[in-house]
Parts: sequence; structure tokens; C-alpha cells
Amino acid sequence: MIETTLSDLEARAVSLLGQAPDAAALESARVEFLGRKGSLASISKEMAKLTPAERAAAGKRLNAIKERLESLYEQRKAAFARAALDARLAAEWLDLTIPPPGVLPGSLHPLSQIQKELEDLFTSMGFAVVDGPEVETEWHNFDALNIPSTHPARDAQDTFWLTDGHVLRTHTSPVQVRAMEKFGAPLRIIAPGRVFRNEEVDASHEHTFYQLEGMMVDRDVSIGHMLYFMRTLLAAIFHREVTVRLRPGFFPFVEPGFELDIQCLICGGSGCAVCKQSGWVELLPCGLVHPNVLRSGGIDPDEWNGFAFGLGLTRLVMMRYGIDDIRHLQSGDLRFLSQF
Amino acid sequence: MKFSTNWLRDLVPSLAIPPRELMRLITMKTAECEGVEEFAPWLAQVCVARVLETEAIEGTHNVKALIDAGPTFGRKTVVCGAPNCRPGLLTAYVPAGVSVSGKEVKLARISGIESDGMLASGEELGINRDQEGIVELAAGEPGAPLPGLSPDSVIEVDNKSLNHRPDLWGHFGMAREIAAITGLDLRDPVDMASIPKAGGAWHVDIRDRELCPRYSALVFENVKVEPSPLWLQARLEAAGLKPISNVVDVTNFVMAELAQPLHAFDAGKLHGDTIIVRRAAEGESFDALNGETYTLAANHLVIADSSGPVALGGVIGGAHSAISESTTRIVLESANFQAAGIRKTSSQLRLRTDASMRFEKAQDPVNTVRGLARAAELLARIIPGIRIVGGLVDQWFPAPPPEPIELPLEWVVRKLGRSIEAEHVQAILESLEFGVKLRKPGVFMVTVPSWRATKDITIKDDLLEEIGRIVGYDTVPPSAPLQPVHRPWINRERIFHHEVRQMCAAQGFTESSNYSFISDEMALRFGFSPEEHLRVANPISVDQALMRRSLLPGIHHNIIDNLRNYDSFRLFEIGNEIHPRSGGALPDEIPHLMAAICSRDGGAAALYELKRLAACLMPGCEAWPAGARPYEHPARSAELRWRGASLGRIFELHPDLVENARAAIFDLDLRALFELGVPPKKYTPLRRYPTSAFDVSVVAGLRVLCADIGALIRQGAGEYCLSVEYLYSYKGKPLAHDQQSLTYRVTVGANDRTLTSDEVQAVRDRTIAALAAQGLSLR
Repeated sequence: MIETTLSDLEARAVSLLGQAPDAAALESARVEFLGRKGSLASISKEMAKLTPAERAAAGKRLNAIKERLESLYEQRKAAFARAALDARLAAEWLDLTIPPPGVLPGSLHPLSQIQKELEDLFTSMGFAVVDGPEVETEWHNFDALNIPSTHPARDAQDTFWLTDGHVLRTHTSPVQVRAMEKFGAPLRIIAPGRVFRNEEVDASHEHTFYQLEGMMVDRDVSIGHMLYFMRTLLAAIFHREVTVRLRPGFFPFVEPGFELDIQCLICGGSGCAVCKQSGWVELLPCGLVHPNVLRSGGIDPDEWNGFAFGLGLTRLVMMRYGIDDIRHLQSGDLRFLSQF
Repeated sequence: MKFSTNWLRDLVPSLAIPPRELMRLITMKTAECEGVEEFAPWLAQVCVARVLETEAIEGTHNVKALIDAGPTFGRKTVVCGAPNCRPGLLTAYVPAGVSVSGKEVKLARISGIESDGMLASGEELGINRDQEGIVELAAGEPGAPLPGLSPDSVIEVDNKSLNHRPDLWGHFGMAREIAAITGLDLRDPVDMASIPKAGGAWHVDIRDRELCPRYSALVFENVKVEPSPLWLQARLEAAGLKPISNVVDVTNFVMAELAQPLHAFDAGKLHGDTIIVRRAAEGESFDALNGETYTLAANHLVIADSSGPVALGGVIGGAHSAISESTTRIVLESANFQAAGIRKTSSQLRLRTDASMRFEKAQDPVNTVRGLARAAELLARIIPGIRIVGGLVDQWFPAPPPEPIELPLEWVVRKLGRSIEAEHVQAILESLEFGVKLRKPGVFMVTVPSWRATKDITIKDDLLEEIGRIVGYDTVPPSAPLQPVHRPWINRERIFHHEVRQMCAAQGFTESSNYSFISDEMALRFGFSPEEHLRVANPISVDQALMRRSLLPGIHHNIIDNLRNYDSFRLFEIGNEIHPRSGGALPDEIPHLMAAICSRDGGAAALYELKRLAACLMPGCEAWPAGARPYEHPARSAELRWRGASLGRIFELHPDLVENARAAIFDLDLRALFELGVPPKKYTPLRRYPTSAFDVSVVAGLRVLCADIGALIRQGAGEYCLSVEYLYSYKGKPLAHDQQSLTYRVTVGANDRTLTSDEVQAVRDRTIAALAAQGLSLR
């Protein structure tokens, strides 16, 4: 008799719990069967009337039914919760192709970038990065560098003179002297910066451009040492080994003086418009520091010597990015600047 | 400087290196070459022809000429327009099919007559400037090449790389280099026996031996001035010099060969028989060969006769004593002038000549007489009957000979960075005609030849270059120096600038770079006084006459330019302001950052964006109202303060300076900021007890400052107040039209316990009371 009741109840409860269309129906089915006042609870109360043997068997059966119904309920409850979450998430669809709000980062001037790169390189090799003034004394810009006023080399550098007698530095070389005055020997420095030449501006000439001066003063510095640093520098700039050649070049502040050419990176040395068919590009004037320049900096040339070099940063930037018009660099034109 | 390889081969007779390879050798060992130019290559195909018959062609100025062009070409008929085309003339024949100066001579019908080739003028052949008629040859065999004329290859050497080499301003000097590089023999073209041993026929009186250490001369008579032979003219053309007349051409030939400039005076036009070398009288006038009249200064050196200047020493000759067709006697000057004096004169008078260019490199005084000897020989060769009157005229104040230079071999090896044998060093120096003696084992005493001793070579470092370049720098192996490690000085200010750049870029600003120059007009436009700027004495244009004292003109320029392409943008620059200082001191160069936000539909937000950038660089910086400058929006400008210092400004550009857009500007003194440094950081233990917070919304007038109310709240809250944070403002109903409400969050707490709600309430009450005391109520 009770067995029949239990079986009927089980069948009905499984049907209601299993087919409840939504979470609310599922919950009311749970209350109906599994609640404190639900069907299973009432049957449990009625079982007190049974014999102990019947009660044990019915109790076992009742527990089995309860477990089955609870499991079914939990399972369906979880399914409804999952479905609800899925529905919510589906509704939260976002179009991530929309650009972000606010401004995007700007870019640094290519000259700043290359300066930073070379400063880091030379710092890693024990060089200090030093600055000198853009407005210089005639002495620092010329005389101290072994270029007296009667020297024809002054013609090679069209100089801006200020009405107070000073000059706009025509090269970063005066920083050699300033660094020697400040630090003495031994010395390893580079000095990147802005320089000025009184030249008409066109696609390949600027009156304002950037150089990087380098200098090492120590005991017994040789041409071989200079070559070592120049090769390291060029490999770092171009991210590969470059073929170089060293030939005589005349600069009053070095003796011997050199022009260091690199094999043309465009044609690989076979000759093209960039290298004027020579296969070589002049890049790096350099040399052993002239004893008179060491003396200008207060350093005894019998005890110390060194090398120095000058790198045209503007030219380097143009080569690296293939910039065909030097005027872009000082134009402030964002169409140009935002490319870097 | 142009070097004819034919000329060089005359001086190094066994030279067989092709021109391009020779150019490479010169570039690698001596001086930078710019290229090789073929000079009159068609001369290889042009031949001598004799005009047999001519016949005028009616209605034209042309003639039909029958010519004998030798065994290969035979007789040809050509049409010729030259007035000197006449039977019996030996001239130059260009066969059809040959290109001359880029134009091919073709078999053509001219004036109805078939012309087979062309008779050419000197100008057409490129050997001189003569276009009056066809070439007239003194001798030659029909069909043979033009005597003394052949194609040439001209190597052009960069003048800048010859600045230190007076000897290389002539072919002989370059020939000496080539001989040293190749090991071939050098032939000296000078025969000193060309000058008779006799007393001078003229007098020299050098009155300034510093500016003119030597003056040598020869006097010639029976001179006949006419065009030079074609070979001589062609040589000058190849070297880039203009043939003029035999006498003048010889002076230029010797200059191009020996680097010794000469000058010929018409002796008949000189007054007296003494050359006076003296400084010009201040204001003295001088008529030069080039047709110009110069007013001279006392530092200029003149060559004078008894009546006045006849030449500007070492620069240019005078008009009155110039060689002309009627000249029959000449005084040929070969002098030496001080380089510095020539340079000064030439730059003051803006007059650079082939002579001044050479003298300013410091020429060798020994060379004057060599130049005369070479000229005497050439003149005798090309002017039949010419005679030297007397012998050498010469006044010389020789400088003491330079001391030999001590050269330790071990030093050479150390500086070069490669090993080299003593014999090798000696051989190299001797090939360049240095005198080399061994003073003791391993130490040479080196004597410098006179043509390298004027300025070029004075110390052992100069000798190192001679050895290095000839041995070849490509033989030096690169090697890392073995020096003790020194930790370099760190340029923190430069690193700081890079950090500022990065920060600006991260905030959306793109870096610009502007000139250091501005114009007077630009300065005035921003209300700056031009007089307070440093001024360029020789600006490229008036637009670039002043040195900037602010980055603003440049940034303003960028704003106007970029508005043509963009409706809104951000940019910045880091650069030096240049402020004059008194007493001859260098100006103060102050690095500044200037950042700008520009927008066509811009509102006030840009200024707050700039304030955010400022806060990124100076956390907690404050902007306080400051009197607006002329270029600033009068109601939108503030001074930026950080750690007690005024470091910059933010402002909107005055609408007069930018149309249809707004530009917000942030100007920061990077040096002051760098010097201020960042405050040292110290850890504060984390708070153990929770804090509480309450909001207050204060109703205030529209121009009451947010920061002032914040400070009032802070002050009023007193003890336990940890922070006062501005949240937002509100305008509108129910507030009056002239009122706003500003909301702040006040956070309170104690270090040793949690505040009770009564205590928090007490703080709030105190705050409200303090506000009320200032007439401010809560919303």
C-alpha cells in the first residue's frame, strides 16, 4: 500500500521537477515535494503508523526517492542558472572594433630617438654624455681646435656670428675642449647636439642640424683603437657589420685625420646614385687628437693622447629612414613627425 | 683642383695606371677625389688636314673646301663657314661619325653640297676659347693626329682636402705623391740653368718682410705677345684655366705645375726700375686687371713702382701694367707672400683668385726661383727671339730652417696600432723626400722638405700621418683598448630630458623641433622686445636675425602650419631659450619644454589636459592665477608652482594669434625643475585602522577658486583630516545663475584607533562651521 503511494509520488515528482519550464516552476515543485511541508515530509510522518519492519523498508525507499529528487532538482537548477548567465552574457555583446577613447601616444622626433640610442650605446662602453652651449666663444669653436683666424679651414664652415662677437657653434667639436676642461684625462665622452652653418636651405642643406662628437683620451690610444670603436658604433647603428675604409682627411683638430667611409648600403658597393657611383659613403670624419687641442683642454700631450670623431646625426637619420628632404626635420609638420 | 693625367704622366713618365685606379689611390693615400672627367676624347679621331681648294658658295658666307685628310681619309669635300678657310691651310678635320662635345658630325648636305666631315675651331674641339675661325696648325702631316694634342683624363680633387697641402696646388706636387705611392720615378721639369748667371736688370725693395719674405723676378725683352701654341692652350683648358696669351699662359702653366703663382708686368708701363713691396696707404685706390677698382687698407700689401701700386701682392695684377699685344718687355714676378696676410686681404676685398688660393695655403719660398726657371724655359720655347735681360732679381729674407723632428719608431708603432719595420718607415719618408737619419737605434731625426715645412709638417704627429697613409690605414687591425675601467659621469639632466620626452609622448604629444632663430617681427608679435634678444650679425635672412628667448614663436608656427592638415593635435618641443648676459659672457641657455594642444572645436578641457601633463611631471603641482601676458588669453592663464618654486605657465593662446581654433600651451623651465629634483621618498607604515569619509557640496560664487575652498575645508576639518579630494562641480537649478556647487570628499582617520561616528560628525561640523564663517553654505 505505502509502496504504491511512494511509487506514484516518485513518478509525479520526477515528472514535475524534470519538466518544470523555468526556475520558478522548478522551485514550486521542490516546495511541493521536498519542502518542509511537502509530500515527502507528510509521508515520512505517516510512516510512524507502520510496523518496524515495514518502516525500515519504507524509510529506505523514501530516502532513495528523496536523494533522486534532490539530485534532479540541483541539476535542473544549475541548468537554469547557466542558461540565465548565458543569456545575460549574450546580451552584453560589445563591438571592440570601436577605437579607444582618449588620445593615442605621440611620437618622438627621429633625432631624439637616434640620440638616445647612441647615448645608451656609448654609455655602455664607458663614455660620458656631455653638453656644450649652442652659442660659443670664437676661441672654443675655432682657436682651441687649432683653427686660428687665418686658417683656410674657417672658410669651410660658414659661420653665424652674433653681434656680441660670439658664434653659433659650427660643430660639436668645441665640447671636446669643454669636456677636457671639466674632466681632465683620462676621458671618454660623446656630445650630441645642435649646430649651425650659414647656408641657404634646400632639400639637402640646412643651417640647423645635429652632430655627435666623440672623444677618448687615455695613455697610448692608437688608430687601431679608434677603428675598433668606429666599427662598434657602425654595427650598432646599422644593426649589422658594415665594411669600412679609412682614408686621409684634413681637419685641423686631428693629426692624423681621416674620413671613414662605409660601403654603400643601398648598392652594396657596386655604385649607385646615393654613393655617386663610388660604392662608398662618407660618414665619419675622425682622427687622433691634435696635441694643440689637448693643450687647449689643459692636457699634457706628452702624457696623454686620444681619438675624436664627428658623426652627422641628421644625415644618419635621413639614411636610416630614407628621408629625401632635410627640411622636414625642422618643419614641425605632424604628417612627417607622426611617422616615427 | 683639376689634375690632367697627361700632365702627371709627363712628370712620372712610366705611370701606366688607368685614371680611375689612380683616382682611387689618390683618394686612399693623399686627398679626396671627386671624379674623373674625360677631356676632349674626340682628339683621338681628329686629324690634320690640308685645305687644297676653296670655292665660295653663292648666297652664303660658306665655302666649299677640298681637303687632303691623309692616307686613311683621302680627299674630302667639306662645307666650312670659317673666314680663315683658305688653300694651303693646315687645320683640324673631324671625320663624319665622330662626336665632338656631345654632337655627332654627320655626312650632311649643306647649302646644296654634300659635306663629308667638318673642319673645326679650337672652341669646337674644346682646346681653347677661339671661335673666330678653324684651327691653324703650324706643322703637321695630313691624316696624322693633331701635333701635341691628345685626349686627356682629368681628376678633380676636393679643394677642402688640399687646405693643408700647399705643394698639391700644382701638378708636380701630386706627381711626387704618385711617385711615392707607386714607387715610380719622378721627373723634375725645372732646369735651373734656364736662368743666366748675371746681375739682375731690375731692383726690388721689400719694405715688409713679414708679409713678403721673398720677391724674385726676371726681365725679358723682344717679347712678342700672341696666342700660345695649341698644346699649351689645351693643357690649361684641361686644368680648368683660360688661355689668354703666350706670356699670361706661361705664368698660369707654371702655377698649375709648380703651385708657384707668377705675374707678368709690361715693363714698358712700369715707372722707374724698382719693384717696391709695401703696405698700401689707408684708402689708396687700385685698378685691378679684372676691371674693378679697390680701396685698400693699411694691412693690404701692394707691389708698386715709383708712381703707385701695380699689383695687389699675391692676389691680382693691376690694369695699367697688364700684358697687351704691344708689350715687348716684361718683368716676370715670382714672389712669396705670407698666407695669413693674403687670406685677410682676399676675404676683406671678397676677391679670391687662383693666386690667392695658393698663397693662403703657405707656399714654399724656395719655389720662387724654380718657377722663374721653368717660365724662362717655356717662354724661350714658344716665343722665338725672346731674351732674358741680365739675370735673377731676388730679395729673400729666409726664415730659420726648421729643426729636424725626432721620431721614435716605438712611438709610431704605438700610435699606429700595428708593427712596422724601421726600414719601411725610412723608405716611406724618403719617397716623399724627407731627410731621414738614425739618431740612435730606434729613433730617427727627420728633416722636412721646404715645400712641406711652411705649415703642414711641424711635429711628429704630422709624420705619423705620412707613414700611415702610405702604408695604408686598411692595414691597421681594429683592437679594443686595454684601459682601466672608469665609471663614466652620468648626465642626469639629459636623461631627465629623455624621460620628459617619453612622458609627453605617452600623453599623446608628438615631438617637434624648431629653429633657434626668430624675426624681429615675430618677437614684436608676442610682445617681446627685439633688443632683449641676441642678434645674428650675418643672418641668412631678416626672418632669422634673433636668437629665441622663448619656444613660443616656433610652437605657434607649428600650430598655424598643422591647422592646415589637422583639426586637433598635440605637440611639444624641448629646446633652449637663449637669454643674453652682460659683460661679454656667453648667454644663458635654458632648456624649456613647451607643449600645446590645439583644436578647432576646442574648449577649456585642453588646459586641464595640459595640467594633467604637468602633474605627471610634477606630482601635486599647483596652478595659480597670474597676470596674463600679451600673448595669453586674459582670463585663462596660470602660473605653475611645485615645491615652492614657480616653474612654468599654462595658458590659452590669445585669439589674436590663432584663428578659428583654440590652442592651450604649457611652458616649463626644465632646468629649474631638474635642479629642484624629486623629494626623497620615505616609506610610511600602512594604516592599521580604517578611515571614514564624507562628502561636502559647497555653494560658492562662479569665480571662487576650487583650490581656495579645498584649502578652507582642509583647514576647517583640522585634526584627523587625511585628505580633501575635489569630486565635481554643478551649475544650474536650483542654484542661482551666479552660483556653483563644488563637491569634495573628506577622508578622516586616526593612527591609533578607529574614529567613532561622533568624532567623524564633529569633524564634519567643524568643516561646515569654517565654511559658514566664510559665508559659504552647503547644498
